[in-house]
Amino acid sequence: MLVFDQLKRDDRRLQVIAAGILLGMLVLMVGLWWVQIVSSKRYEANLKNQSFRSVRVPALRGDIYDRNGKVLAENRPRYDVNFYLEEILDYSRFMFTNNVVPEYRASNPDIKKIPGKVYSTLILEARYRAVSNITHRVTSTLDQPHILEPKRFFDHLVNYPYMPFPIAHNLTLQQVAIFSEQFNAIRGLELEVRPIRSYPNGATAAHLLGRVQRDDRPDGDEQIAFKYYLPDFAGRTGMEGLFDSELRGKAGVKSLLVNNVGYRQSEEIVSQTKPGKNLSLTIDLELQAAAEKALAGAQAKVQGAVVVMNVRNGDVLALVSLPTFDPNAFPNGISHADWARLNDEKYSHIFNRATYGAYAPGSIFKIITAVAILESGVDPKEKFTVESDPARPGKGAYYVGRRKIKDTAPSGEHDFERAFKLSSNSYFIHYGLQAGLPKLIEVGKRFHLGERTGAFPGQEPFTDYPTSQQGWSAGDIANLCIGQGKVSVTPLQMACMTAAIANGGRILYPRLVKSVDGNPLDDTYRQGVRTNLKLNSRHVDTIQRAMLADVVDTREGTGRAAYIPNFHVGGKTGTAEVQKAGRMDTITWFASYGPFEDPKYAVVVMVESGASGGGTCAPVARKIYEAIQKREGTTPNFASLNLD
Amino acid sequence: MFETHLNERGKQVDIPLVLAILALMCIGVTFIFSAAYANESARNLPLFHQLYFRQVLWYTIGVGAALFLCFVDYRSWARWSFVGYWLIIIVLLLVLIPGIGVTRFGARRWIDLGFFQFQPSEFAKIAIIFAQANFLSRPAEELRQLRVFLKSLGMTAIPFVFILLEPDLGSALVLFPITFVMMFVAGVPKSFLVKLIGGTSIVIALLLVDILFAPPQWQIKLEEYQRHRLLTYFGISFAPKDATPEQKKKADALQRAKSYNVEQALISVGSGGLTGKGWRQGTQYSLGFLPRAVAHNDFIFSVIAEEKGFVGSAFVIVLYTVILFSGIKIAGQARDRLGKLLAAGVIAMLFSHVFINIGMNIRLMPVTGIPLPLLSYGGSSVLCSLIAIGILQNVYMYRRSY
Repeated sequence: MLVFDQLKRDDRRLQVIAAGILLGMLVLMVGLWWVQIVSSKRYEANLKNQSFRSVRVPALRGDIYDRNGKVLAENRPRYDVNFYLEEILDYSRFMFTNNVVPEYRASNPDIKKIPGKVYSTLILEARYRAVSNITHRVTSTLDQPHILEPKRFFDHLVNYPYMPFPIAHNLTLQQVAIFSEQFNAIRGLELEVRPIRSYPNGATAAHLLGRVQRDDRPDGDEQIAFKYYLPDFAGRTGMEGLFDSELRGKAGVKSLLVNNVGYRQSEEIVSQTKPGKNLSLTIDLELQAAAEKALAGAQAKVQGAVVVMNVRNGDVLALVSLPTFDPNAFPNGISHADWARLNDEKYSHIFNRATYGAYAPGSIFKIITAVAILESGVDPKEKFTVESDPARPGKGAYYVGRRKIKDTAPSGEHDFERAFKLSSNSYFIHYGLQAGLPKLIEVGKRFHLGERTGAFPGQEPFTDYPTSQQGWSAGDIANLCIGQGKVSVTPLQMACMTAAIANGGRILYPRLVKSVDGNPLDDTYRQGVRTNLKLNSRHVDTIQRAMLADVVDTREGTGRAAYIPNFHVGGKTGTAEVQKAGRMDTITWFASYGPFEDPKYAVVVMVESGASGGGTCAPVARKIYEAIQKREGTTPNFASLNLD
Repeated sequence: MFETHLNERGKQVDIPLVLAILALMCIGVTFIFSAAYANESARNLPLFHQLYFRQVLWYTIGVGAALFLCFVDYRSWARWSFVGYWLIIIVLLLVLIPGIGVTRFGARRWIDLGFFQFQPSEFAKIAIIFAQANFLSRPAEELRQLRVFLKSLGMTAIPFVFILLEPDLGSALVLFPITFVMMFVAGVPKSFLVKLIGGTSIVIALLLVDILFAPPQWQIKLEEYQRHRLLTYFGISFAPKDATPEQKKKADALQRAKSYNVEQALISVGSGGLTGKGWRQGTQYSLGFLPRAVAHNDFIFSVIAEEKGFVGSAFVIVLYTVILFSGIKIAGQARDRLGKLLAAGVIAMLFSHVFINIGMNIRLMPVTGIPLPLLSYGGSSVLCSLIAIGILQNVYMYRRSY
């Protein structure tokens, strides 16, 4: 063979040369083998790293529906005009030679050769002008604000030259038509459609739905080091926040091939997006809207909440918090001023009072005291004489030690029902103290006071309820009996309590979500019966009748404003006196259920700074019951209201 | 066997050599096409300005020159070797004169002939081979004289200095292995050669230590880019030891920029893997990571390696091996020492080019402007390579056929 023949020549010196050459070629061969076979993985990784950019593509966010399939949150198309920077090169070269350089020369006539540093700034200047010109043409035609901040542009050019640069946002359909007609032929301009979160009912159920925020750097469990994130939305509060991962779906990955200066050459989908799941809530949109309207009419500048709950299964049918906000303000980004207005400390629009607000319950707490009194063996027929208050003729008062507690109920003899419907403080303090704090603690614990309902993980407050007798004076206990002092509750908790009385003694988990993509929730969200209170049915009956009397006694029942002739409602009013910013303020309540004969709905109304529970909240409840009645009246039987 | 040789006139061409040359030329055109086609603006040039077409033209001219060379016995050509030698010295001088020599990338290496950028340093190699072959083919006893040895060394030193002045360190250095191999084959005493090797090694070692490690005021004046190439090759930081963080940052950035071509060539070669990405599927040059200015000439090998993988690059190595060993065979069969020396010189030149260029693509050698014979784009290089092959063929044709 050619090679070995030469190695065996008789010419020693040629033989040495041949050996040397063979050695050299072998060295090259081994070197190539090392680079191309042994280390090829590493170089392939280097190649990928320098020529591919992974882009995160968000999935379509799931819709949110009410219990009847009406849309509460969806995605609508948003139109933006984007510019692909790799297409600008020709034009910016043109700007460079015909525009930027002549100008520079005109202002610096002495300079013959442009120094390198200046040269590169001139190139950038040409790019900026090219994009600016095009942007100007587009925005002036579309009658859009012309904003091209140099800093934002250069940031984008340096860091993400492979991504299109947005030059006009949020086009109307008319602008879309104009754009498609006039700019179709311009290279590099592209109309981009991307989904944006939309709430067709505006502010209705805003607190329950929550809000989303633009999320440019989602930190998920993704394994990929993304170079660029297409705008995504992150749920911040409410259902959007709670079920963010379900609604969001799984982001896809797009891989862009870029050249040595980072411009896009081609793109490829690495993994498809997996759309988010749809959420069906338990609320009824019409009832929700009616409840909001009713609450808004309670007084001027209402700050309050309403919870409507199905007493049989815990489904929350309406969850209202006022003042409210329009969640549509957030997906496009909200201005600082608007945010400051919504998040005002004294009059917060964002705060969900129904689930996140802890308030003194006032007299609606007498329901708990009533259970304690009855279970401690007090005969509801037993009469208690309320002392009269010397300062207020006709009204009662109660003395704990040297402290006088005013009673809005008149002096004289009261049995349980009369004391309940007139909301006698004296009666409930007297028998409450007799039952004792341990009994009150025990009953409250059974009703899960001082605990979260679990319906809104992370969005429920800490509420006060005594756990031991330590530090509790007789005065404190007296206050507790009438729902004042060291006790606080949320409207949602009170709905659970009221529902438990209505359904005969079962504390239910409030249920907000009916199904996710048609499937029931998994075990992390508990539903159904939380605790069976094992109440004596006679006691339940006594309390229910007292609640009914509070409303139907249209002469002296404190809740008589909630009276509807053909729909019997039982309720309890409450007016708690609280210190707020150094002065006395009120928290007014009305906790109720109906129809009395076959309880289905619990309605709890709370208004801050109201006149009184009976005067401010009971009328709201009445309007809500009227709405319920109307809905049931239009449907021949109750089952079709879809309460399952 | 003896009789058959005696009666046979001998074959006119060395078939494996010719086949290998043809194969390399085909590969050359194919991959220059590939490397240049990625560039959109280059794609729309008229045919005459297309690099691959020009390469074909140079191949044609080169093959023509090689054939022309073969019409006349190499011994007749050798008589003109000193004329050729001094002629090239003059041209090498001319190229240094501003106005005649054309400066590109900071070096004055070319003479613009309008249609052709003539690079005299390439032709100097051919001239040296002829001159040395002619000079060293004297009787063996004379080669033992120190005077003859030094004369031979001086003959290489003159063009070496001129080429160094251009500056083109790579091309200048290649003259030495050529001379050394020719001296060795001619029979210059080993003691001289050992001293020569030893002397140069010490000088080179001292130079390297000086350039790489000595404080700036002690360093031999070298072009900055040459120093950078050496520092890059040896993986030494550009920043002096007492540099401020600011300076160090700047130096590091410069280092990254300077080692960019090598890094990218390595990524090209390495990412080719076993079988490569396929013809015109390479991304390194098409995306511009491997600079377009060098992809078709100095770094053509990385284009081949990326697109055809280890299989392709090994094939190229095999083709060169065939050429080189055909050369050794021809040297062995030459009818006289002149022929043998000519062949040895050609082998040494081709081998140096192949080893340095491919070695540079896989970071075995520092970056120099040494082209890959027959594959790299470029008129001077292609012409010289084919003339060198023509010399081999000439020696083969007029070998001893008795």
